[in-house]
Parts: sequence; structure tokens; C-alpha cells
Amino acid sequence: MVDNFGAIGIILIFAILFPIVMLAIPKMVAPRKPGKEKETTYECGMETRGETWIQFKTNYFLYALVFVAFDVETIFLYPWAVQFRKLGTFAFVEMFIFIAILLVGFWYAWKEGALEWK
Amino acid sequence: MNYALLAPEITLAIVAVVILAIGLMIPKGPHKGMVPLTILGLLLTMGVTGGQFAANVHGTFLNGMYYADNYASFFKLLFLTAALLVVLSSTEYVQKLPAHRGEFYALILFAALGMMIMAGSGDLITLYIGLETMTISFYVLVAYLTEDGKSSEAGLKYLILGAVSSAVLLYGISFVYGLTGSTVIAEVASSLGSSISPAIILALVMVLVGFAFKISLIPFHMWAPDIYEGAPTPVTAYLAVASKAAGFAALTRVFLIGFQQQVYGGSPEVVLAVLIAVTMIAGNLMAIPQKSFKRMMAYSSIAQAGYLAIGLLAGDQAGVKAVLFYAMIYVFANMGAFTVATLIANAQGSDQIKDFAGLARRSPFAAAVMLISLLSLAGIPPLAGFVGKFYLFSAVINQGWVSLAYIGFVMSMVSVYYYLSVVKTMYMEPGEGLPKIGLGGASKFTLFVTMIVTLFIGIYPTPLAQMAISAAKSLIR
Repeated sequence: MVDNFGAIGIILIFAILFPIVMLAIPKMVAPRKPGKEKETTYECGMETRGETWIQFKTNYFLYALVFVAFDVETIFLYPWAVQFRKLGTFAFVEMFIFIAILLVGFWYAWKEGALEWK
Repeated sequence: MNYALLAPEITLAIVAVVILAIGLMIPKGPHKGMVPLTILGLLLTMGVTGGQFAANVHGTFLNGMYYADNYASFFKLLFLTAALLVVLSSTEYVQKLPAHRGEFYALILFAALGMMIMAGSGDLITLYIGLETMTISFYVLVAYLTEDGKSSEAGLKYLILGAVSSAVLLYGISFVYGLTGSTVIAEVASSLGSSISPAIILALVMVLVGFAFKISLIPFHMWAPDIYEGAPTPVTAYLAVASKAAGFAALTRVFLIGFQQQVYGGSPEVVLAVLIAVTMIAGNLMAIPQKSFKRMMAYSSIAQAGYLAIGLLAGDQAGVKAVLFYAMIYVFANMGAFTVATLIANAQGSDQIKDFAGLARRSPFAAAVMLISLLSLAGIPPLAGFVGKFYLFSAVINQGWVSLAYIGFVMSMVSVYYYLSVVKTMYMEPGEGLPKIGLGGASKFTLFVTMIVTLFIGIYPTPLAQMAISAAKSLIR
């Protein structure tokens, strides 16, 4: 019990020391020539044009929600399909109830225009 | 596996899906026909649940993951009653909503279904699923007035704080699983035995904090006033009574079955006692300066959660019975008050206490119901609230927490002040120029029912007390 925690303790010490050492080596070894570009905050990607605080369509979000619902359904369907012979009629009916409930939700999303790009 | 035991949940799930489908099929309009359908569905579910209760069904299935006992049935009846009263009292309110009238009822039913699962669950993961079913429905319901900034703000706040509290609860559950290797509450209890270690305390505190958010014990209450104020008034009522009762239903089962030996007689008990004392004192004191009726009722409901948790602290059969009894009468008293507030909001579009001026003249019946509901909440005899508080305080005194009962008494007296300030506004101030309050049939019925029940239980509490005892016995033998 104590030995196991001892191992964790060694990892902890190592984990703390490792980044310190890694940061210290370049400080000691690397030459230092500061310039204007080097002093700026690191940013990746293109430089933006105009206002960065723009609005984007919430339709993306609705699509994502519907996608997640069906994704999860597929995940449920796989083990069911693999074990289908063993599970029998009961699981068959149960899965249809599950899909029926999901379809009502999908119907709702469709009817409310979640799938239309306005 | 006996599916008949699940009949109430199955019935409600079918009703909710059918209501959602009907809301899609009928053309956009006032959706008047959905109210009787929803009520019919709720009454059907109540009938099934009531049948189980009367038959004293006691069963567990899926290896103890789900219970169908009188304790769960009592709470299910409570949630269904609350949902029924909300649907009845919101009939006119929903017709004024700008859009999405059809889903309102479906969401109320789905929330009730989540609560029912919470009350019945004997497994922490099942409990969590019930909790999320309820809470996600509430996120939508709270943010229902899409054009109203306050409602959207409340919805967003509830979403963020609800997610945080769920995360804390789940973290606690993961600790419990790590310690015991099981999430089934009965197995957790047998695996833990009477051992108590720092890790168990940590898990317990996290579970308690997760639930304390849902039942708004101080210092986990800060979401309540903003969200109660911003939400549509009928939803506020539903949130205040039903979601709180659901939190108590789950917390009581987890504490009394899962952690009985760890919570009672040790330091967690003291933590709970301190939380309750702070909740009762601060909740009542912060209610006093409020100008908005819904904010005042939010702080009042925080204080009421403190009273209810007293029964949980007692932790015996009498305590559980007191919690069940008080939770049920709290539904009627709070729904009475909120139905009147909904009427005011409909007629005047506002929820300040000063808007109640002259209500005694404008609608004597609504004012009388408000008076009775508020006095019951304050615990004035001969109304139902007095009997409920009597059970709660006597249960906790029997367990030796006299000081806590004393704080409860004193703070109840303090609460009379702010409840009566509303009554004073209704009866003493003229309220010149404010419109007459028209009572629709459904609202009138709701007001009548809440008033009669509050009066009747206050004078003759035996039937409800018998039900509560039978439910408490099924939890603790």
C-alpha cells in the first residue's frame, strides 16, 4: 500500500522537476537576441481583417445537436445488433420503442425548422 | 423483471411523447385543446400511481437499481399533483406566450418523469439520469420567454450553475464508486459498513453539495432568486415545489439507505445541521427587504428547504414522515400563492409586491387564497403549515437537536413579517387605477383546490399523515 503510493510520489517529483529542467536548459544554453516580432504574444493562424467579434449562425448548433442524437443512437444499435440472436424478441421490441421515441424528437426538430438553412 | 412496477413511469412517458406529437400535428394557434389532454394524462398517471400506493406495492428490480415502494409512490403523487396544478394555473398564461405553446406541456410532463425516476431510483447513475431529465426540461422552461432578456438570462444562469452542481454530484458519485465498487445504493451501504474515512467524507460532502444546489440550501442558493425572478411565473412555481421535492426524495434515500451509518452520529451530521441553521436564518432574513414577489418567494423557498431538511437531519421514521407531509402541503400552499402571482402577471405584466395593492377589492377570492397560502407557509394554526412544522420540529427534538428546533421557531416568527407585508399591501392599500383581475375557470379551480386542501389538512391532518407514515415505513423498517 505505502510502496504503491511511493511510486506515485516519485512520479510526482519527476513530473514537477521535468518541466523546470526543460525550461532551465534553453535559458542557460541558448543565445538571446530579442527583437520586436519575438516579443509579441504568440498567436497562431491568419491575422484577422475587420471586427473579430462577429455573429455566426446558431444553425450549426442545431445540426450538431441532431447529429449527436443520431450518433448516440448508432452507438446503442451496434451492441444490440451484435447480440441480436441472443437477446431475442424482447430486445427487438425494446429497440423499436427507443427508435420511435427518437423519431418523435427528430420529427419535432424537422417541423420546427432545425434542418433548414435560413 | 416485473414491468407492472414501472407502470406510472411508462404511462407518463407515453403521455408525454403523445402530447409532444399532438403539439406538432395541430396547427399553430392557442393550443387550447392540449390542456384537457395533459390533465387527462396526468390524472391517468396519478390513478396508476395511486393504485400502487393503495396496494402497498413493494418491489425492487434490476438488482436493486430501481424501487417501486410507497416512499417513491408518495413522491410521485406529489410531483404529479404539482404538475397538474401548474398546468391548470398556467392555462391563460400559456395562451399569451409568443411561440412554442405546444411544447410547454410536454416539457412539464418530461420534467415530472425525471422527478419520478429520481424518487424511485435505487442506483446513483439512474438517479443522475432522472435528475438530468428533470433539469434539462427546466433549462428550457426557465428560458421560455425568448423575447424577454430576464428569462433568457435566468435560463443561461440555470444552465451553467446546474451543470456545475451536476459535475460536483457526479464527482462525488465517482468517489463512491471508487470506494465501494458499486453505484447501487443498498450495495454501497453494505460495502461501506460502518467504516468512515476521509475519502468517504469527501464523497459524502460532494454528494451533499450537489443536492444542496438543487434544493437551494445556503450557501448553495445564489442561483435561486435570479432564476425564480426571470422564469415564467408558473415555471417558478413548478421549480420551487416539485424540483425541490425531487431533490429531497433522492437525497433522503441516498443518505438514509446508502450512508446511514456514516452520516448520522458523526461529523457529517453536524455539517448538515449547520447548513440547515444557516439556511433558515439567512433565507428568512434576506426575504425581508425584497420588492419583487417572486424574489421574496425565492428566499422564502430557500428557508422552506431549511425546514424540510430538518426532517432529513432527524433521520428516523418520524423525520421522513415529516418531510413527506411538509413537502406535500408545501405544494398546495406555494401553488396557491403562485397562481395568484400568475394572475397578477397576466393582468399587469409585473411581479412587484406593490402590484398586489388593493387585490382584496379587485378580486376578493384571489386575495383570500393568497392570505391562506402565505399564512400556511408561515406556519400559523389552524392551517396545514402549522401541522407540518409541528411534525418536523418534534421529530428533530426527539433526536436531541433542541437548538435547531428553537432556531426554526424563531425564524418562522420572522417569516410572518414578510408574508404579512404582502397581505398588508393586498388589504390595506387602495391600489387606485389597477385593473380588475378576471378569474378563468382553470385558475379559479386551482385556487379553490389549494385553499380547501390547505384548510382541510390543517384541521384534519390524519389522512395525509397516515399516507406519509406508510411511505416512511416503506423506506425505513
